[in-house]
Amino acid sequence: MSILPATTVDFFLAGLEAFMRRSGQGTHWGVTVLRLEGKPDAKILTQGWEQIHAQHPMLGARLKRQWRGWRWAWETHGAITAPPICWHPAQPLPPDAAVIQERLQGRSSDGALTSPLWMEVFPCGADGEHVILLTWRHALLDGTGINLLLEKLAVGSCTSGPPLLKATPIDTPGRLYKRARPLMDRLQAMTTAGCLSAWIKGMPQDGRPEYRLIELSREESEKAVARLRALCGDFMQMPFYAAIAARALRLLHERREWSSPEIHLHLPIQVRGRSRELIFGNHMGAMPLFLDAGELGTLEQTVAHLLDKYREAMKQGMPQASDALTNLAAHLPLSTFIPLVRWTNMGQICSLFHSHTGSFLPGRTEFAGAALQNVFTIPSVSAPPGLGIFVSDYAGLITVTVAWRGGGVSQAEIEALEQRIRTDLTGIAER
Amino acid sequence: MPEVPISPAAVIELLTAEHILEPQEALTPDTDLFSMGLDSMAMMQLLLLIEERFQLTINPAEMTRERFATASALAGFLEEKRRLAA
Repeated sequence: MSILPATTVDFFLAGLEAFMRRSGQGTHWGVTVLRLEGKPDAKILTQGWEQIHAQHPMLGARLKRQWRGWRWAWETHGAITAPPICWHPAQPLPPDAAVIQERLQGRSSDGALTSPLWMEVFPCGADGEHVILLTWRHALLDGTGINLLLEKLAVGSCTSGPPLLKATPIDTPGRLYKRARPLMDRLQAMTTAGCLSAWIKGMPQDGRPEYRLIELSREESEKAVARLRALCGDFMQMPFYAAIAARALRLLHERREWSSPEIHLHLPIQVRGRSRELIFGNHMGAMPLFLDAGELGTLEQTVAHLLDKYREAMKQGMPQASDALTNLAAHLPLSTFIPLVRWTNMGQICSLFHSHTGSFLPGRTEFAGAALQNVFTIPSVSAPPGLGIFVSDYAGLITVTVAWRGGGVSQAEIEALEQRIRTDLTGIAER
Repeated sequence: MPEVPISPAAVIELLTAEHILEPQEALTPDTDLFSMGLDSMAMMQLLLLIEERFQLTINPAEMTRERFATASALAGFLEEKRRLAA
């Protein structure tokens, strides 16, 4: 048995999953879809799959509290055996939403998934197209981890495991409290203002995971990328897409005639010093941003406002405050963490989690020997917040996933959200 | 506060001392920063650090791939910004 240090985000996600289970939302799963032109090489795929399982005992790890220091850590039990890759018989169409929904509930056609990572290959159509579904537990993988995993699988090689990590020194509660204070003050203001998500008390929580894919054509994607560059340069993808997500949520609030003076966005921020060999265990910290709902009038205005708030939050040390607050909360039993957050936030956690956004497999044209057409991610979301908007970019091709829980967002609302997102991305208003 | 001189070496020092990049090998002025792991997540942190260290304001729309490709290119861009602001 060996022990790997856990990050505060590992604790946060474990707490969120404990809350999801208790409220009938099940385990927190995500699915990554790879569309291939041609058949992937089974040897490359199997070799990478087996090596990853052999090199990364985190795939069999459990998050446990250690007596020493009363800290959370990943307890591993040596190399684990890879579950077999499931090759489905040829079928005329790619796997449909029902198949993906089943995976998002941690099930396959044979029953419950028995591993935190699950791979299936679907030959589909007459032109040799193949779709790979990679189902993964969010507790072990975030957007960065997924990309690192895909990189290894693409070439069928994972010859080294994670580096040995040192646990960070334990800070005193007093020092943690001091660091957490700017965020605590901000959260208190948010509670007083009454920030809402897509979910409020009385709405269902236990609906099955639902999603809609907004697939932009090559031409539409080019328009979106040009718009992104004009507003945010070549790199600020996250603020651009987060602004679009915030505006979509604002639209939902307007349609429902809900008053939420602020939007509390939870953005991922890369934890410094994480090795690229460390695939499992989360790479992201949290960056809480509080946007004034009145500043979201146009996309240009929203992006400018979000960048100002981002600057302000960085200067106030919000990422460190968030880490310190979660560190303090990690002294609580896992099952009480999210309920306490909700109790102090009038039933909410935040308005919107905006993660799993970015470029996947940049620079790669092949996956396991087959030409790659597109790759995108479909995470499930918890209620609250009840809505997630995620953007995948593969070689300039943009795919947006809108995810929600059944019964939480109506069909008419989804149509309106799609129209707003498409218009914001491309600058073209639909008639 | 006196102006901090801008040079490729000063940019490299900023990137490594602030853990924006953690390269296995020493960075040179012409090292491709993207191949060293400079990504969009790190860019906002870098933007703020540049503003703080070199007392310059950068519009995110000015952050292009060419300008941030190497420490040398970035130093050139920042020097030009400072010259125009003077």
